[in-house]
Amino acid sequence: MTTDGNALIRVDGLYKYFGSNKVLRGISAEIDKGEVVVVIGPSGSGKSTFLRCLNLLEEPTYGEVWLENRLVTPVDPYLHPEVIEKSKTFGKMLPSFGKEHPSLGEEELKAALIAEIKSKDLLNEKHEGKACKALMKQIYKENSININLARQKIGMVFQQFNLFANLTILDNITIAPMKLLGMGKKEARERAVDLLGRVGLPDKADSYPSQLSGGQKQRVAIVRALAMNPDVMLFDEPTSALDPEMVGEVLDVMKELAKQGMTMVVVTHEMGFAREVGSRVMFIDEGVIMEENTPDKFFSEPENPRLRDFLSKVL
Amino acid sequence: MKEWFSDLAGQFRLNFIDGDRWTWLLEGFKMTLIITFFATLIGILIGVVIATVRSTYDKNYESMKKKGGIGFRILSFFNKICGLYLTVIRGTPVVVQLLIMYFIIFASSTNSTMVAIASFGINSGAYVAEIFRGGIMSVDKGQFEAGRSLGFNYIQTMIHIIIPQMFKIVLPTLCNEFIVLLKETSVAGYVGIRDLTKAGDLIRGRTFSAFMPLIAVALIYLAVVIIFTKLVARLERRLRNSDH
Ligand SMILES: Nc1ncnc2c1ncn2[C@@H]1O[C@H](COP(=O)(O)OP(=O)(O)OP(=O)(O)O)[C@@H](O)[C@H]1O
Ligand SMILES: [Mg+2]
Repeated sequence: MTTDGNALIRVDGLYKYFGSNKVLRGISAEIDKGEVVVVIGPSGSGKSTFLRCLNLLEEPTYGEVWLENRLVTPVDPYLHPEVIEKSKTFGKMLPSFGKEHPSLGEEELKAALIAEIKSKDLLNEKHEGKACKALMKQIYKENSININLARQKIGMVFQQFNLFANLTILDNITIAPMKLLGMGKKEARERAVDLLGRVGLPDKADSYPSQLSGGQKQRVAIVRALAMNPDVMLFDEPTSALDPEMVGEVLDVMKELAKQGMTMVVVTHEMGFAREVGSRVMFIDEGVIMEENTPDKFFSEPENPRLRDFLSKVL
Repeated sequence: MKEWFSDLAGQFRLNFIDGDRWTWLLEGFKMTLIITFFATLIGILIGVVIATVRSTYDKNYESMKKKGGIGFRILSFFNKICGLYLTVIRGTPVVVQLLIMYFIIFASSTNSTMVAIASFGINSGAYVAEIFRGGIMSVDKGQFEAGRSLGFNYIQTMIHIIIPQMFKIVLPTLCNEFIVLLKETSVAGYVGIRDLTKAGDLIRGRTFSAFMPLIAVALIYLAVVIIFTKLVARLERRLRNSDH
């Protein structure tokens, strides 16, 4: 649990189990402002799960997700080194732990004991005393961000669009800014119309989602997310459910977004997009990041044999 | 033949015209509609709340159980209450519920109409709740995730996204529940309410002829149900066609 660094999103030791299915097995990554990170990997390798853990649509089993140096995942303050050091358990264990590890210096010894307590989850909320609890509360307040607030800053675009079926296109776009950001109706509408114009759908404001083609729906879904002015946009295979002739129109919108400096994490099978727009490409397989690199190197000099195998199949 | 007709006409006059007895039927019919209408409203209100509690519990049971906490305990508690309510209401006859409400729970109340509305409403709520729960479950999961991903909290997502769509899905079923309720209110006479059925029965008691008043009552129920069923069918077609 560190708070240094300037990454927009930082993922630390992310694990996700579905029952006995260990889908993510320790993913750590940083995404900087303005980066376009493209995530590729075989089907079922955990790409969607990874993306959905970033905004907690899936709750990680272990690990931390940070957004702008604020913890998005539920805080377990007992894992914080300072809290552990203030705990009664720590005080009780220190002397005997010192005897067991005579070779360690004072600082090293403390660090080792903290690690030991952390890994074995030895703290018990009821017995740790007031000082420990107060520090815990303070750390919680300083370091965490409410999940709904975090999600306002993390836009998401789904494979299946997920436009609100009961609302017109305009209402799909304006509902969140109006209800969550307190934006006035007039302003929200003007912005929505402007954004719709920019993705080439100026005349669809009063249609319902069911009246749009897949490509149009996905462009609206992107606009809906953009209307919240997010700091980062997550895309989960945004073109996989589209007829081939509609893929281009959606990719064009995404390219334009990237050009304007939007931070993006994109799970896709579109290798052309990865090459052209990506600032970094990440290969996820068996629940870990097997390789990541700039697009150039990633595609021309893949090192990991599984990646080479994968690329030979998809390129 | 002529005799039979004049007999019929006589019966008609006796049962409906003399003493303006047709107004009894009219008043009774009004009462039936009033009870049905307000009981339906109460039923929908109860239904929405219970369906929300129960589907929230079902959806979040796994993740919340692990964390425990006060929120989960409160939710568990309400979920249990809802379960108990559903079991009791659906496991006992509506007449018995009505009698208990009138003679025990609201024994001090003199407003039997209110008691009947409350009683039928509470009864209907149990069935409506299950209709709504099915509706909530059948709204695409992606709608919920899209709402949450924008930053709406659970309740906001339910109110703005899920429940409006749920209503659309269950509207035809809900109308059928209204029809069922309309017929069920015919037992209101047990607690001295002059609803349509009771009115027919009162006429029978006064004129000592059963045929005319009871058939008339049956026809009125039948007419309302047929008209309503037609409306529901048309509604269903329109919903299917518009699909939004
Ligand atoms: N909600 C869930 N419950 C149980 N298992 C799940 C759930 N979501 C995903 N999984 C499992 O997790 C694994 C990874 O799924 P995920 O959707 O993350 O893969 P993916 O890399 O996105 O694959 P694809 O390219 O097919 O979209 C799969 O084995 C899947 O069955
Ligand atoms: Mg996927």
